[in-house]
Amino acid sequence: MEGRTDDDAYLVDRLRRGDSRAFEDLVIAYQHRVFGVALRMLGNRAEAEELAQEVFLRVHRAIGEFRGEAKLSTWLYAITSRLCLNRLTTGERRMARQGEEILTRLASREVGPAEEMERTELETALHRAIADLSEERRIVIVLRDLEGLSYEEIAAALELELGTVRSRLHRARMDLRDKLERFLP
Amino acid sequence: MTCHDAREQFSALVDDALAPGERAAAEAHLATCAECRRELQRFRDTVAMVRAVGPLRAPAGFVDRVLEAARPVPWYRRVVRSLFLPWPIKLPIEAAAIVLVGIGVALVYRATPVQRFSPVESLAPPMRDRFEGAVPPGSAPGPAREAELAREYSARRELPSGTRELDKTGEMNKAKDHAEASAKSRDAKEAADPSKAPAQAPPAVAAPPADAVQQSATLSRDRDAQKRQERREKLEAQLADKGDAARAEAERAPSAGTEYLQRAPTLAAPRSQVDAAGAKPASPSITGSAFAPPAVSGRLTVADREAALRGVAELATRLGAETYRTDSAAAEDQLVELMMPREVYPEFIRELARLGRWQPINEPAELPARVRVVLQITR
Repeated sequence: MEGRTDDDAYLVDRLRRGDSRAFEDLVIAYQHRVFGVALRMLGNRAEAEELAQEVFLRVHRAIGEFRGEAKLSTWLYAITSRLCLNRLTTGERRMARQGEEILTRLASREVGPAEEMERTELETALHRAIADLSEERRIVIVLRDLEGLSYEEIAAALELELGTVRSRLHRARMDLRDKLERFLP
Repeated sequence: MTCHDAREQFSALVDDALAPGERAAAEAHLATCAECRRELQRFRDTVAMVRAVGPLRAPAGFVDRVLEAARPVPWYRRVVRSLFLPWPIKLPIEAAAIVLVGIGVALVYRATPVQRFSPVESLAPPMRDRFEGAVPPGSAPGPAREAELAREYSARRELPSGTRELDKTGEMNKAKDHAEASAKSRDAKEAADPSKAPAQAPPAVAAPPADAVQQSATLSRDRDAQKRQERREKLEAQLADKGDAARAEAERAPSAGTEYLQRAPTLAAPRSQVDAAGAKPASPSITGSAFAPPAVSGRLTVADREAALRGVAELATRLGAETYRTDSAAAEDQLVELMMPREVYPEFIRELARLGRWQPINEPAELPARVRVVLQITR
């Protein structure tokens, strides 16, 4: 993580200096994470790509405003989360939500055929359970359990109190436990 | 700590996010509660399952598309985008704006004072030349005829309602309205006593240039006034020329009456010849112009032109109309100009229809007290 932070600091520095390759490096480094959050939140591949592109364009335009107090990744997640929630809450949706199978297909897996079927069923159930969460709980689960952000980073990205993050995360996990009960040992 | 309190801490416990005191209390409860331990394990398994979900991958070519989108857009594309995008919204609005501007221009054009002379412009050029150069021999010598024309000019200026709208510029309007009111009252007096007309005519004649100066308050009015002034000067020059000629003709043959004016240009004569003939400086006695287009003009198609001409002359005599001029056109047409009271005009038209087929070219709904009629007698 330290190495990543150092890499991010160097990347930000290059971006601020107008290094033409820096933006490309940024997109390459964060494309999957930004796209993943957008797709899990919006449930539509084309819309997620459109939103992810918008995130990077905003970063490109506003890199001068990045103060470096938070990590670059946190800043990117913050922009992505805000755009997703805005789109979901303002009814700006132009595309219908797709089935969870698409998420399962898009998830990278390298397993054998037998295990693949079992995994596919579990992952489809997982994706559906996550998709069924309310938006404010879903974003917390995505950022914490799928993207690995700390409570503090989530609070910063979503501009929430730490206690609110903890509470929403707990409720989200309880919901998931109820929905995934049949897969539990 | 109750089971409920302990289970509320599960999430933070799994994430190792509890303060040391909270963690100790939770662990103490778990050590004594098998049910809560089992629940904690199910909770841990759920979190582990969720965390095991594989990451999603951006589609192929995503980086290139982002880089392409981030490239600076050329200025002309930005202009086009800002003008037309989103086209479903902006194009209809822009089309509507163009239509509205077009309608506005058309309305302004129609309300322009120049349009008030449209009857003259709409006539065939040879006839128009006749009207502009027309000076009745019977009344030409002296300012009486000029005054009469001036009154008609003033009356025409007062008629269209659009004129009022154009002249609404504060104090200038008051002066203009005052002048128009004076002209109206003069007209009324002159109708009662025509002998006073020559003496009262000059102020009315001088009114149009004064108006033109007032209307120069705005740029568009300035332009209109300038055009009108040029037109007036041109017409004055023609009128002066024709007036002089008519006076000379009248002196030579005072009883000319309905005789042809041989010096007048023919129907077939081009406008340029008339303009050239009327290029002499205007006489000081008619400053301010006395041009008046005919109230009624039209074509009378007959089998025998000479018989029709005689019939028109008899009709004019019977109805008390004045025949100012009859011009022999090249070979085909005959032009006759008459002035008659408005009251006899309907009878004149009825009788005219007996002489031939009457086709009005210009016949306004409201006629002046004295109606000027120009007939083009053709076979």
